[in-house]
Amino acid sequence: MSGPKPRNSFYTRTELTHRFPATHKPMRQVLVVFLGIFLAQIAFAATPTQIEFSVDVISVLSKAGCNAGTCHGNLNGKGGLKLSLRGQDPLADYHTLVFASRGRRVTVNAPEQSLILQKATGQVPHRGGARIRSDSSAYKLLKQWLELGAPPPSKDAVLVTHLQVEPLQAIVRDPNDSINFKVNAVFSDGTSRDVTESACYEMSNLLARVDANGKVTRAKFGESTLIIRYLDQQVPVPIAFTESRSSFVWDEPAEFNQIDRFVFKKLRRLKINPSPICGDSVFVRRAYQDVLGRIPTAAEARQFVHDESPGKRNRLIDSLLSRDAMADYWALKWADMLRVEEKVLDVDGVDAFHDWIRGSIADAKPMDQFVRDLITGVGSTFQQPAANFYRANRDPSTRGETAARLFLGTRLQCAKCHNHPFDRWTQDDYYSWATLFSQLDYEVGENKRRDKLDKNEFVGDQTVVVSKQDEVRHPNTKQFVAPKFLGGKQLTESQPEQRLGSVADWVTSPENKMFAATQANFVWYHLMGTGLVDPIDDFRLTNPASNPALLNFLADEMVQSGFDLRAMIRLVMSSRTYQLASVPNHTNVNDEFSYSRVLTRRLPAEVLLDMQSDVLGTAAQFAGYESGMRAVQIPGVRRKRLRDERPNGGDRFLQTFGKPERILACDCERSNGTTLKQVFVLMGESLNRRLAEGGNRLQTLVDEIDDDARLVDELYWTALSRSPTEVELSAALQMFRSEKRWSSIESVLESPRTARLRVTEDLVWALLNAKEFLFRR
Amino acid sequence: MTFHLPNRRSLLRAGGAGMLGLSLPKILRGEERTRAIKSRAKSVIFLFQWGGPSQLDTFDMKPDAPDTVRSPYRPIATSAPGIQICELMPEMSKWMDRVSLVRTMTHKMKNHASAGYYALSGHEPPSDDQRLRDSLDLYPAYGSVVDHLMPNTNGMPTFVAYPHVMRDGSVVPAQHASFLGKQHDPLFFLEDPNAPDFALPELSLPQGLSVDRLQRRREMQKLIDQQNRMLEYSDQARGFDQYYQRAISMLTSDNVRKAFDLSAEKGSTRDRYGRTTYGQSCLLARRLVESGVKFVTVYFSNSIGGRRIDSGGWDTHGFDDTRMYKIVDKYHLPITDQTLPTLLNDLEQRGLLDETLVVWMGEFGRTPDINKNSSRDHWPQCYTALLAGGGVKGGYVYGKSDAHARFPIENPVRPEDLAATIYYLLGIDPLTEIYDLDHRPLIIGGNVVKDVIT
Repeated sequence: MSGPKPRNSFYTRTELTHRFPATHKPMRQVLVVFLGIFLAQIAFAATPTQIEFSVDVISVLSKAGCNAGTCHGNLNGKGGLKLSLRGQDPLADYHTLVFASRGRRVTVNAPEQSLILQKATGQVPHRGGARIRSDSSAYKLLKQWLELGAPPPSKDAVLVTHLQVEPLQAIVRDPNDSINFKVNAVFSDGTSRDVTESACYEMSNLLARVDANGKVTRAKFGESTLIIRYLDQQVPVPIAFTESRSSFVWDEPAEFNQIDRFVFKKLRRLKINPSPICGDSVFVRRAYQDVLGRIPTAAEARQFVHDESPGKRNRLIDSLLSRDAMADYWALKWADMLRVEEKVLDVDGVDAFHDWIRGSIADAKPMDQFVRDLITGVGSTFQQPAANFYRANRDPSTRGETAARLFLGTRLQCAKCHNHPFDRWTQDDYYSWATLFSQLDYEVGENKRRDKLDKNEFVGDQTVVVSKQDEVRHPNTKQFVAPKFLGGKQLTESQPEQRLGSVADWVTSPENKMFAATQANFVWYHLMGTGLVDPIDDFRLTNPASNPALLNFLADEMVQSGFDLRAMIRLVMSSRTYQLASVPNHTNVNDEFSYSRVLTRRLPAEVLLDMQSDVLGTAAQFAGYESGMRAVQIPGVRRKRLRDERPNGGDRFLQTFGKPERILACDCERSNGTTLKQVFVLMGESLNRRLAEGGNRLQTLVDEIDDDARLVDELYWTALSRSPTEVELSAALQMFRSEKRWSSIESVLESPRTARLRVTEDLVWALLNAKEFLFRR
Repeated sequence: MTFHLPNRRSLLRAGGAGMLGLSLPKILRGEERTRAIKSRAKSVIFLFQWGGPSQLDTFDMKPDAPDTVRSPYRPIATSAPGIQICELMPEMSKWMDRVSLVRTMTHKMKNHASAGYYALSGHEPPSDDQRLRDSLDLYPAYGSVVDHLMPNTNGMPTFVAYPHVMRDGSVVPAQHASFLGKQHDPLFFLEDPNAPDFALPELSLPQGLSVDRLQRRREMQKLIDQQNRMLEYSDQARGFDQYYQRAISMLTSDNVRKAFDLSAEKGSTRDRYGRTTYGQSCLLARRLVESGVKFVTVYFSNSIGGRRIDSGGWDTHGFDDTRMYKIVDKYHLPITDQTLPTLLNDLEQRGLLDETLVVWMGEFGRTPDINKNSSRDHWPQCYTALLAGGGVKGGYVYGKSDAHARFPIENPVRPEDLAATIYYLLGIDPLTEIYDLDHRPLIIGGNVVKDVIT
């Protein structure tokens, strides 16, 4: 066997028993006997073994899926056998396979009788089925390992340093529908070998299938990523399956700015033409929704659409960015992630923190400064609102996870219990990062909560103070860990007072690409609907950006602009890419990640409700707030607690349409999915009552506009920012006519106004329930 | 190029619930659909006894224990030889030959919130803490898992839960779909089935709105939707439109409406169940399973209770001079003895009992030692669950508690084991995995208690 040289220095009995003390106390003696036999055998075998447990055996187990998260790699193991996830801990796995359960899993004297082989081949009942064929090289290797006396991992086993994959990315054009890869593992001793057969393969989505040898076959046209894994190394390989489009002609759409250059470069390579530019009615709506979280009034929409002068789109973007409502809407996005929520922060804390967030955005505070204020935020949570960041995140682990998630786009939680299975973060990284946030304490006054039972609730001020605390202990070694920046250097300052400042320096430094990219991606995601990295808090080795060059560019722009939120929004919105229509053409109908058209998506709860209110000219009601509050302006989640009653009015709408509870520091807590219940809310009593409510816009318009056609036109501009089409107009007029006829026959008592109002209500209901209203496109 | 690892939703959209961390999509799809197991129960009625009923005063009497431990009530013989229950449940005693008792339910959560979450999800909470907050990190309710893995295709909702929210200060987790997504939430309501005008707002036309007008609105909505191609190219928009169709049929002629119409029941039937919120909720549960709902959760009370003799749950500590034995004998046991046997009779007479699993249990039991208030405190180490119908043995006791019902001495059963048994009876493999927000594969249940199955 070529490749890594086998070594001969094994873990000794003392080392093994030290690492796994008395987990099987009654079996101690047996274990000792077993070890004795092994060590004797090993000593006896003069020639070094040919099989290294941590390389050869582990890779076979990984390949067969034994140590996958769904099988024995699960937190709780499976069927009584627990292996380390993906073979991260060869020593523990060795111990489990050879010694645990009274050593019943291996029989070195009769290798083929070993439970691990009999189970793996399905000779004895195995819930996971037959994973290895008895004529396979995997079987041979395991058997050989057993024949050699099941030697333990050697201390100086070579490591895989990296994988060489060929090709590193691919476009597969019809009629081709599959592609093969070659994988070479390079080891720490400089040797390398072909591991194409023993590497593990999986696809990021169901658009393609991959077989055990890494052959990827198309199921549908589109883009997918192949993750290649061998031991602890993994490489993502982007693959696009496209139609042949032999007659493809690039449309040569004009680039509006640099963004388009990056997007179009990729599209051209994929032989995809972008959709045309969207119309003005669509654009004005989209721009208002994205910047302000609302729609234009009929007058605003008409004015924009009828404006004939050049440059009107960029002028609109600028004017929207300067409006107060912009800060309301963008503060909402941050308030979601910063857990601005009454139970933990108190109503006063919510108000203070929300004011501070909104104010920061209104005052155009640079985003690096904003984040610096959060990281260094201590003091009274009522007086120093940024301190609420730590009021909501109360222990070093939570603080570390939240900071990594919001500021560095990284989900660390996997690494709390084991090395991150899809990324480079180890458990050590996790705890050395968490301990950076350990030197904090709380001065807690009297908790005046109303419900004594509710320990989540804290009423009153708290003071976050920097104070000397123990560093965090590593759960395995039980030792204090040294503070270290995530993927960076060790902390040098020893004073607790300086620590948060150092963390803020490191996080927000222009050199910290993770920070700039995360903040740029945040803006991109909110404007485009899908992050360049998506989910936005999940930057990871195996989840690369859909357009890395574009993300790089945007991150640089973020730094160049001095972390100016508005500059980033302006840059994205003035691109052609942002202004594309959502209607697909025949080349981009399968595109979901390359931005060749705008993706349709249901609007957020607050925006939808405010849009309804604006169309109807009446405010929605929220418990604990005076009438007139817009849903996007609500600072927290629930100002007044409801016991055994369901929320009403606006609160119920927001809950049903997915306003987050703000318990997790994650955008994922907001749900923009659609449910049957939402339709019930739109069809049922609450919207109906608002449609019929005295003094709403419907009633005013019915009184002000006598002509039915003009009334319909006004309603269309108000709700949909456009005129009715001919078909729509004639259908609407028909509704008015038949109702008039009907009411003149049926009930002489009814006034014509009542009949007209009834039709108007029905028409407006239809407008408010049109997909065009409910979805951003 | 693209390199997008899908988020959970996009995979769900792709037609399955798989996630990364699996080897091959083929395996992935195989795993995510639950393995076919013979289903013994079509439906489950889960009667959640909030507050924690005392094992020693209901189904695990210890008459030989000292008077500091034993119940002031006497045990009586039942229709099952060798099984005795509390004398205050004479009607229930006639049913013991057709139910199973698990007398060794056990766990370590001493707070209502954490124990309640454990009982409602079958997953041990991260800490025994009243502060356990209802978040998308935590496991979904049983019914939501069922809706995720084995949704109804008969037009009826899979999961219905009512008529209270479980809370002890904070809302207890596991009353909804959590990370499985809002589409798997129960059809949940707080309206009182015992109210004379009981009706679900969801299933009622808005006041003053005729069916004709509803149709007119829908027609106009459809016409507007035809003006652009969104329904053609957006799956989400199309999916939303289908909900309108469904909602209209539910509002007008659907079986769902009929199932909720308690006024269709005879007055005498309603009287038999008891004119209480709990009684009428159980009657409604029968109507729901009869019309094809798979999982019905009835919450016993709106609070942990223990303070009043006419309302509240089983949490009888005897605080503030509210003695346990003035509440359980006047309220909890009479209401239980009226409702539970009536539900079982009704199901049996309609031929539904064989295919309907009825589960009666609280979040924990109560201390064997009677406290200084002549009452009992929280005791999760040993308590009793009752199972009936749906493939479960009759006249059977699983597990053996010690002389004071303090600890199990044979065959302990954890909440996840009971959960596994429920899933198994429904035909869902308890080893099926679901995926949380961090894409972790999580097993839905523990070990099936096969001995209680016929």
